[in-house]
Amino acid sequence: MSSAPYDQVQTLYRTLLVFATVAVLILAVGLVEFVHFEPPGQTTGAKARIVGVFAYDPAKGTTLGTDRSAFARTEEFAAVVDWSGLPANLTVDARWYDAFGSMVGRIGPSTPAQLGNFSIVPVKVPQGLRHNLPGHYTFVVERLQGGVPVEVLGRRFVLVESS
Amino acid sequence: MSTSSYTTPPAANPHPRLRPGRYGIAVAIAAVVVITLIASSLLNYVYLDTIPGRTSLYGLLAVALIALGTYIGVRAFTRDRASRRKHLIRAGVLLGLGTLLWLLVIDIFVFTQSAGPVVAAICALACLPTTAFGLFVVRRMDRNEKEPWRLVLVAAAWGAIVATSLVIWGETLWEQTAQRTLVPGPGLDASTAFSAGLLEELAKGLAVVLLFLVMRNDFDDVVDGIVYGAAVGLGFNFLESVAYMTNLYGIFAPEGIGWYAAGLQWYGRQGLGLFFGHTTYTAFIGAGLGIARQLPHKRQKAFAIVSGFVIAIAAHFSWDAWVQFFPIDNTLFGLVEIHLRTLIMTGPFTAALIALLIFGIRYEAIGLVDQFRKEAATGSGAILPEDVPVLASPWRRLKQRLRAFQRGGLRAYFEVARLQSAQLDLAMERWHRERQEIDMPLEAEDALRQRVIQLRHWVPAA
Repeated sequence: MSSAPYDQVQTLYRTLLVFATVAVLILAVGLVEFVHFEPPGQTTGAKARIVGVFAYDPAKGTTLGTDRSAFARTEEFAAVVDWSGLPANLTVDARWYDAFGSMVGRIGPSTPAQLGNFSIVPVKVPQGLRHNLPGHYTFVVERLQGGVPVEVLGRRFVLVESS
Repeated sequence: MSTSSYTTPPAANPHPRLRPGRYGIAVAIAAVVVITLIASSLLNYVYLDTIPGRTSLYGLLAVALIALGTYIGVRAFTRDRASRRKHLIRAGVLLGLGTLLWLLVIDIFVFTQSAGPVVAAICALACLPTTAFGLFVVRRMDRNEKEPWRLVLVAAAWGAIVATSLVIWGETLWEQTAQRTLVPGPGLDASTAFSAGLLEELAKGLAVVLLFLVMRNDFDDVVDGIVYGAAVGLGFNFLESVAYMTNLYGIFAPEGIGWYAAGLQWYGRQGLGLFFGHTTYTAFIGAGLGIARQLPHKRQKAFAIVSGFVIAIAAHFSWDAWVQFFPIDNTLFGLVEIHLRTLIMTGPFTAALIALLIFGIRYEAIGLVDQFRKEAATGSGAILPEDVPVLASPWRRLKQRLRAFQRGGLRAYFEVARLQSAQLDLAMERWHRERQEIDMPLEAEDALRQRVIQLRHWVPAA
């Protein structure tokens, strides 16, 4: 009895399929991660009112001037949130993210009522640096569930200019 | 294998009357790429940030010049000696103009904004030797039959220029949409990682697919696929390194640590990550195409090609999405952590690729040795029985060339090298024909055989 010689390309092919199966599992884990942090159907309809983004005086803890969308990197700035319009039973917080996605300012989490007196959310200069890093900054007011942010109730973008 | 490399006597099949169907697929892909580039550039310019918008708009001309130059350059090698030089000069001028224009566009409209053209030039110069080293190593991996430099460089150039142009629009659009709709944090990071993995690997993979479709004679198996894929990845990594280094310099220079930030990027991308990141990812796409090249059934071919892409996308995704779970301490131990992170996160993919490569090299060697013996048995004189053990071993081939060098200097060395290369080409052609995975006419094999016999007359007894 004779048999055709085994083609070793088939070994390569099967090995590739095994790697591809692992790859599909990795992508599936990524998808699960995405759904965990972006759970569908999490819309309450609540909207946070972001009063504006203003220059900030850290010594006095107050904002200055008018609502702006761009700042020099040497300027300090903060967002002002009106918590009063949000339902009292929500757990919320407010965060600043810089262009690298690092959190550079936060207030909360707590209920809107407890946060009522903390309407100013300043951006903190990263440790070891003298000024803010340039780029697009994102400010978000989020609703949390089980300690995880699940819904953005308000969002603002600000540009920190490089010069 | 490169019948197209030998044009004295004329190429084996310089003007085929009937072109295989894969050329039609290649033309369709190229047309889609060009249309996508034009449409995305216009959309970017109108709707998105004007800086990347202008880059891709003005970059279109550079991309067109590179594409035309590449086409003329590659096709020049199938022409006779008289017209080849003319076509190569034309291709060189077009490629040169395209490259210069592209660098100009990049410098003026992107890097100059934050750091200036001098910084961009220094960053590019810093990345050139490492990328060249990477290409040298990648090409040397094919121990039996090295790919032509022109195609390896074309792959790297397409990775650097065409692939990066293709992803600018897609990633910008995806990122801006995600930032306006998703919750910042791991979910947004995962979305961005899907964008990078999917779009960048598709854009890079297109170059490998086009090589697979158009340059079939120089795309023999899994080893060639890994070489071309890695070359595309190295080209992409080059331009991305320059972009990140320049950008970070611009961000951190006012803090007095601009060169430190750029230097860390250089080390991460051009030192530690030279073979781990994009090089590994895109090499998997090449591996899939290379394996598909030798599979008998269309269904298996399709699975192999899709598998290569899926592995590349997953490898890229895992790094981008989960790198944040391996934070680096701001201490001396952080230096160790940087290396461990790369090793743990990308190392398994690179190890898997090396396994495919080693197996591919061994499999290719077995096939070639079999063909050396069969050709020697025909008595054609192209490969003699005593040539077989020499041709079967890269070390013995090198020793034979060195002996020729001792006898007759560099000229003799290269004459023997050309003879060995032609004999390997002939064996590769025979291997593909025996496996029924070649669409070149039998005359191509005869022309290769005559070429070997002719070279043997020129070369003194080795």
